Amino acid sequence: MNRRIAVLVFPGTNSEGETLRLLRDLGADAQLVHWSRPQELAAYGAYVLPGGFAYEDRIRAGAIAAHDHLMDAVIDGCAKGKLVLGICNGAQILLEAGLVPGTAAARRPTAAFTHNAPQPHFICRHVYVKLASAPMRSAITASLDEGALIPAWAAHAQGRLAAGPEHLAELVEGAHVAFVYAHPDGRVDEQAVPNGSALGCAGLVNREGNVLALMPHPERDAWNVNHLQRRVGEALFAPSGGAVLFESFVRAVQRA
Amino acid sequence: MRPYRSRLHRVLRLRSVTDGLARLALRPDERERIAQQLGREPTLVEWYAFDAQWSEHCSYKSSRRHLAKLPTSGPGVILGPGEDSGVLRLGRRQGEEYAIVIAHESHNHPSQVVPFEGAATGIGGIVRDVLCMGAEVIALADPLRFGRAGDPNSHACSVARGAVDGISAYGNAIGVPNLAGDVYFHEGFDENCLVNVVALGLVKEPEIVHSFVPKGAAGWAIVLVGKATDASGFGGASFSSGTLDVADDDSNKGAVQVPDPFLASVLMRASYRVFAMLRERGLVVGYKDLGAGGIMGCSAELCSSGGFGARIELDAVNAALPGLAPEVLAVGETQERLCWALPQEIVADVLRIYNDEFSLPQIARNACAVVIGEVTAEPRYVLYHRGEIVMDVDIDLLTGSIRDDLPVQPCVARPSVDPAIADRRLAAVQSQADLAASLLAHRDVASREPLYRRYDRVVRGATVIPRGVADAGVLAPIPGSPLGVALAVAGNPRYGALDAQRAAELAVVEAVRRVVAVGARPIGLTDCLNFGNPRQPEQYAQFLAAIDGLSAGARALELAFVSGNVSFYNESALGRAVPASAIVACVGACDDLSTLRLPNVGDSGDRLVLVGAHAGALGGSVAAALLGIDEGLPEVDLGAECALHAQVQGIGSCARVVGDGGALATIAQMLFGADERLGVRFTPGLALRTLLAESNGFVVVQPSAEPPAGIVLGTVTGDAVMQFPDESVVAVADLKALWSASLEDIYP
Repeated sequence: MNRRIAVLVFPGTNSEGETLRLLRDLGADAQLVHWSRPQELAAYGAYVLPGGFAYEDRIRAGAIAAHDHLMDAVIDGCAKGKLVLGICNGAQILLEAGLVPGTAAARRPTAAFTHNAPQPHFICRHVYVKLASAPMRSAITASLDEGALIPAWAAHAQGRLAAGPEHLAELVEGAHVAFVYAHPDGRVDEQAVPNGSALGCAGLVNREGNVLALMPHPERDAWNVNHLQRRVGEALFAPSGGAVLFESFVRAVQRA
Repeated sequence: MRPYRSRLHRVLRLRSVTDGLARLALRPDERERIAQQLGREPTLVEWYAFDAQWSEHCSYKSSRRHLAKLPTSGPGVILGPGEDSGVLRLGRRQGEEYAIVIAHESHNHPSQVVPFEGAATGIGGIVRDVLCMGAEVIALADPLRFGRAGDPNSHACSVARGAVDGISAYGNAIGVPNLAGDVYFHEGFDENCLVNVVALGLVKEPEIVHSFVPKGAAGWAIVLVGKATDASGFGGASFSSGTLDVADDDSNKGAVQVPDPFLASVLMRASYRVFAMLRERGLVVGYKDLGAGGIMGCSAELCSSGGFGARIELDAVNAALPGLAPEVLAVGETQERLCWALPQEIVADVLRIYNDEFSLPQIARNACAVVIGEVTAEPRYVLYHRGEIVMDVDIDLLTGSIRDDLPVQPCVARPSVDPAIADRRLAAVQSQADLAASLLAHRDVASREPLYRRYDRVVRGATVIPRGVADAGVLAPIPGSPLGVALAVAGNPRYGALDAQRAAELAVVEAVRRVVAVGARPIGLTDCLNFGNPRQPEQYAQFLAAIDGLSAGARALELAFVSGNVSFYNESALGRAVPASAIVACVGACDDLSTLRLPNVGDSGDRLVLVGAHAGALGGSVAAALLGIDEGLPEVDLGAECALHAQVQGIGSCARVVGDGGALATIAQMLFGADERLGVRFTPGLALRTLLAESNGFVVVQPSAEPPAGIVLGTVTGDAVMQFPDESVVAVADLKALWSASLEDIYP
């Protein structure tokens, strides 16, 4: 099977470095693929869309990138069951491309991650996300524990899930809400949500479970060195914390 | 992110060129000298070129010889001031010498006129200064000084908000974490904000790219890369070398540049690719940011500092619109541009990286990399436009050091104040708990989180201690390596308003202490000197005094200034200058990140101990402002400072610097980090002065079994209240709520 992972770089992507580094530290065969080389993508078995400001968030975050040639290959690969993980701007692009929740045609979005509320500003805050669907709901989360609590950084101006009432209902009924915001002790309530997101949603999965879109960045709290409360004697660059989600993704790719 | 393009109309109002020479900042004697040296009347393009190059902003004509007093070399210095950034030795890792590139500048004038764009382009400029040294840009810091921003309808408030939003929009988009910074609100900045910016880069020592053309480069290509040149930022250098006049606001707006972080993000990544190619081929080239003076200023400095001249074809410049006048093409300060000097054999490959692989022309209209001229052996600077020579001057006359010897008058010594008055005010404090509440809600003490939560502090995944958690921010810049880099800034305007020299000294001391507090080893400094009008002898005197202060502080600590900036004319049309503001950044190295000292307040029963000299002077403190106390600034025993650092490093647990709000505010903030589990009982009978005085050293946590290393301020308790020497009590949670909310009205 094709275990090679492509980390997509759109103009304006800014988190490709740490995303690639984490995938490789977890044993993945991963490469960056730039926007000027979309033809290379078909040769990869899985895709990761990292954070940033692709096409400077024109119109709406992810809206232009969803129509980039890079996404032709991702849409095609998604239909073939390839695994796709989008973080932050990558998540926004996956929603704009209609791959998540994937209840309509490609590039016909039914939901969006849009401007934060009540304050529309960019917010950078440490958060926890909690696995809200059964681990086996998605191949990408299959190695996580039930209700897994994962540390991450919210860093976005457009992270609020918004959709019409019928589409929100669809998300709930189809168990598309993969992650919700939570307190450090795992409690889930409105105070834990940094951006006014509908359903307290931090991440969505598509119907088939092969595409996951997550707003906060687990890869920015993914090595011991990133944790303020680390214990003395731990290897500084051993993956930990937020790395579990990526680990689960890499395992799924290697299983596939 | 904010849509930049819809804001274009606000800044593209170009200064009329037809009123041409009348707008030049060059003085009559300078004009005469130029004409005399050329032996003819200069062309219009030449006038504008000299106007930019001989402006205070480019030439440092009133400051250069005084800046020579600052220490700029030492064992940790790889490159001192002189190029676009300074370079400090970080440490060795697997046989490689790693270095930290640092630059520190101001973007005060633009930020006062159009705060969002002004501050954003400040970030853009400082990032390019670091980038062009061949470095990967790894961190930002933003020391900010705003006016009284309480009234949401005031210009001071829109400046305070707009500047932060601009910094946030630019820094977040390019993916460089904000690691440090500070902010003060003071009436002295009502009409002139200060927006200082600092950027850090990482480079291996042998791979540093210099801001000059290397030996044997005659005939090399000069390659312009980046945004299409437009009419924005025309006259920026001389604009920032004059006093702001409110009536001129509209015409000044034309001198501010338009930010495009999206393009900057792509330019950075494309440049990293070019650096990799240069490394593979072992080539030494020149690379420089286009700042003040535009294409002319950058290409002239790039070539003249290597002993060469340049010939530039303005028609080759990728312009945003046709028909731009040659002086606009030559000296306009369009953002997001850099300039390479490259041997001919690699030009095609470099152009391919920018234009094809990173597709600059598709990223922004007419953006590209393009050959615009060549390096010449003859030291002349020659510009062609439509087949004609529009400028032809001795390149050293253009870029050489001119100087102004300005009259100085000594700083007026402040009359001494009777300390008994202060003691009476302190004795009259009814409840120390109530005073603590006012202190923690004061805008200079309150939580900065409402501001910095708008900054991405963790992009790149290398953040170890994010901004706001401890006294300095810390990164792990080299994946897999235990080497760390710490960054902190300081420069207290309340001090500056009282005593420019002492304030500068204290800025050095505080920035360095902050780095020491997290367990890092200070390795170097930068400074940005923000002052009034140098032609006002009393304002000029403050500037000179500040240099003496910086110099004394740095020499005592055996540290050098490797980069810096002078910003004059921070005065209003009425001649009111900003408080003397020597702002200092300190870089620290950490050889093993696992030995970092993370902030904590210890456990119930531990002692909180004040170490360091503690004369208890309240001058310039927040408490003095609250209680109406007038005193001199605290003195620092510079001779004992290194020993103090060693003492603090030797105490195993947490140390925090005493700063704004004194030890009282320091301890409160230590408790705020303890999840409202712990409190403090201050030592009965402890003088209030001791808790309120600033610049007193460090508060350290010591187990009760250890002999105290200094004055025992109090004991950590298991009930989350603060119990003061006068027995008044306040809940930690109540204080924290006040402290957290105080800036929310400015930054909701």
